[in-house]
Amino acid sequence: MAAIETFYDVIRRQGISRRSFTKFCSLTAASLGLGAAGASKMAHALETKPRVPVIWMHGLECTCCSESFIRSAHPLVKDVVLSMISLDYDDTIMAAAGHQAEEILAETKAKYKGQYILAVEGNPPLNEDGMFCIDGGKPFVEKLKWMAEDASAIIAWGACASWGCVQAAKPNPTQATPIDKVIRNKPIIKVPGCPPIAEVMTGVVTFITTFGRLPDLDRQGRPKMFYSQRIHDKCYRRPHFDAGQFVEHWDDESARKGYCLYKMGCKGPTTYNACSTVRWNGGVSFPIQSGHGCIGCSEEGFWDKGTFYDRLTNIKQFGVEKNADEVGGTAATVVGAAVAAHAAVSAVKRVTEGKSSETKND
Amino acid sequence: MTRTIVGPFNRVEGDLEVALEIEDGIIARAEVSTTLYRGFEQILVGRPGLDALVIAPRICGICSVSQSLATAQALRAAMGIEPAPNGALSAKIVHAVENMADHLSHFYLFFMPDFARADYEGRAWFASVQPRFKAVEGKAMGPMLQSRAQLMQVMGLLAGKWPHSLAFQPGGTTQSVDLGGRMRLSSLLAGFRGFLESTLFGVELETILALSSRQQLEAFVEGPGAGGDFAGFVRAALDVGLDRMGGFKGPCLSYGAYDGLFPAGLSDGAFALESITEDVSHAWLAGEPQSPALGETRPDAYKPGGYSWAKAPRLEGRAVEVGALARQVIARDPLISDLVATAHGSTVFARIVARVLELAKVQVAAEQWVEQFQLKHSFCLPSPPLDDGVGHGLVEAARGALGHWLTVKAGKIQRYQIIAPTTWNFSPRDQSGQPGPLEQALAGLEVGAAGAKSPLVQHVVRSFDPCMVCTAH
Ligand code: SF4
Repeated sequence: MAAIETFYDVIRRQGISRRSFTKFCSLTAASLGLGAAGASKMAHALETKPRVPVIWMHGLECTCCSESFIRSAHPLVKDVVLSMISLDYDDTIMAAAGHQAEEILAETKAKYKGQYILAVEGNPPLNEDGMFCIDGGKPFVEKLKWMAEDASAIIAWGACASWGCVQAAKPNPTQATPIDKVIRNKPIIKVPGCPPIAEVMTGVVTFITTFGRLPDLDRQGRPKMFYSQRIHDKCYRRPHFDAGQFVEHWDDESARKGYCLYKMGCKGPTTYNACSTVRWNGGVSFPIQSGHGCIGCSEEGFWDKGTFYDRLTNIKQFGVEKNADEVGGTAATVVGAAVAAHAAVSAVKRVTEGKSSETKND
Repeated sequence: MTRTIVGPFNRVEGDLEVALEIEDGIIARAEVSTTLYRGFEQILVGRPGLDALVIAPRICGICSVSQSLATAQALRAAMGIEPAPNGALSAKIVHAVENMADHLSHFYLFFMPDFARADYEGRAWFASVQPRFKAVEGKAMGPMLQSRAQLMQVMGLLAGKWPHSLAFQPGGTTQSVDLGGRMRLSSLLAGFRGFLESTLFGVELETILALSSRQQLEAFVEGPGAGGDFAGFVRAALDVGLDRMGGFKGPCLSYGAYDGLFPAGLSDGAFALESITEDVSHAWLAGEPQSPALGETRPDAYKPGGYSWAKAPRLEGRAVEVGALARQVIARDPLISDLVATAHGSTVFARIVARVLELAKVQVAAEQWVEQFQLKHSFCLPSPPLDDGVGHGLVEAARGALGHWLTVKAGKIQRYQIIAPTTWNFSPRDQSGQPGPLEQALAGLEVGAAGAKSPLVQHVVRSFDPCMVCTAH
């Protein structure tokens, strides 16, 4: 077995200072919810333990996960994580081309047998013997199984690898299939979202490479540290939800006042993700902050749950809402009922009002 | 004669394979194969029209705003409405930022690293280019990714999240902008200008915009711009001869971008949308050549003669090139026109210069646009329910002309067809045997003894910037 250098060796070789390294540890530990003790544990692990190699592969996908990943906010996190990963193998970002890359993959597999983490973006389509995604002359599903053989664990990036995503939407023409339906004998961590948040992705990779194990997962295989709360639990529009104040049209008066988007189809009450806390594009915003409801892109089957914009279908969500809501307690029950009534009334109003709302917008 | 398959190509979104037949060190024939298919056009059928706003952009995580805007435009046309001017302006800025970020990553992450290959050791420019662009370790990457990430905070401000933003609607955008937001936009753009001027160009953008001939470009590279990464590219590219390679002799097409900043048109005649057809004779798809307004998508995985999942779009039966070069040819940019005139057509060199040039042009324009918001006015007008309608949306993504064609009947999507920029450029042959633009650009390339391993193959392919998830979708 090859001796592998430590993470600290790697970053020092890149000219990153001791001071930046310490800062990196405390920032990352904070983002992972590990506190000050966690930071020194992390620093120690990074200095002494061999670096865990990560191999990144692409199946049937749209590359949005890679795009999200390379925009991670903390520059050191990005550089370090990117170079750690790319030291090994990534289809999109790495330098080698064609068969040279295939050779590197085989070499990496042999060299780090049983040690590497396989990070998969996208999923394998199974129809027509895998013909819908051919990689290096072979169906991707074969390459995936072959690489999974010697991996210690698998990261399923995004909604595609975790659940199937829109390419698996009815009629799922290619039979796009999530990773855990194809690989059954390895630990799999799901990092869903379309795409997942950059900081969540770097956080997960850093945790695994630092401690050499997967973080705690929930029953669905998602890291608890990022997926244990619903968007709705931490949404800054929540007071308006509780007060029954809702947006009725895109960018109407209520939208400008920051009212709740529930009636515009928001799936925040049933979606587990970190968007309302970590936010997007360097913490600037997230869909709800842009005035559009959450579509629940980190939830299984979000693509086939009825239309994204029909308000009436969503009232059903309150059945779940009043039982599952720990934050609002009994108040939520009452408000839930009130909202359902309110929504029904305004649906009627919308039909009768016709286009009169246009004038409200100036 | 040898037949070699090049690929999978790395640093490419999705999978691309190119089969090359090489005779005496010259490429005799190329077949470009898109090896990935998901079936979006099948998946969209039967869903409510508005749901296309969520589904269709997920074709591609690189140009998702372009896809969103094409969808919104097609829906708008089907509804017969106009967007709120503020919403259209906001969408234009987000679109510009996506395209600029894409040009930047193409240059730094995808194109330049090939100059750092060992094949070029010993060239005069190698010692200055290699340390900056060696894949992963290159010194240029870190600061570039950082400025790019900062620029993309614009996406956060105007669209909430990127990729796969949700803010774009037929009536405008769901996100309004306030005074503070406008100030932040200006400062983000100013920051990006700083990166372009200090690192990419080494001069003020206005100097770049004033370049009007190849001669001036060469003088610039040895003079005021000598320290910039762009100059590094120009020196290396001219030394390798990329100004004589990878040409495509057919016409260029642009749908027009940014409200007339770059006009629509065809380089050798009048452009008629109705003369676009898609041919599937060499695709693993069933059917006859058909207009996208009437087209369908039916996989046929074992079709004899098929070698790609991509259709072959043709204009009046002709293959056409799309992209930044096409946009600048149609816009009659003097520098690009001169490069194309001296080379008698497009080249690898001109394609890259056009993309880099657009960074300067679009940045300068976007700084103006930010000032044009009417903050008190609406960003999104209400849209009527869509029961029946037909529409199309035409936009310019970073890689070129993107079109969505939509038919809605009784509230459900009856037909949805997409022609992505890379579907044009990476198209397979059609029924007359006419190769696609990349196939034509590769034929005749002198690769010498290195054969398919020649870095020239990489340069030609990458000058079209493969995005295979768009090509077949
Ligand atoms: S319904 Fe959506 S917008 Fe409203 S409070 Fe919940 S998550 Fe926020």
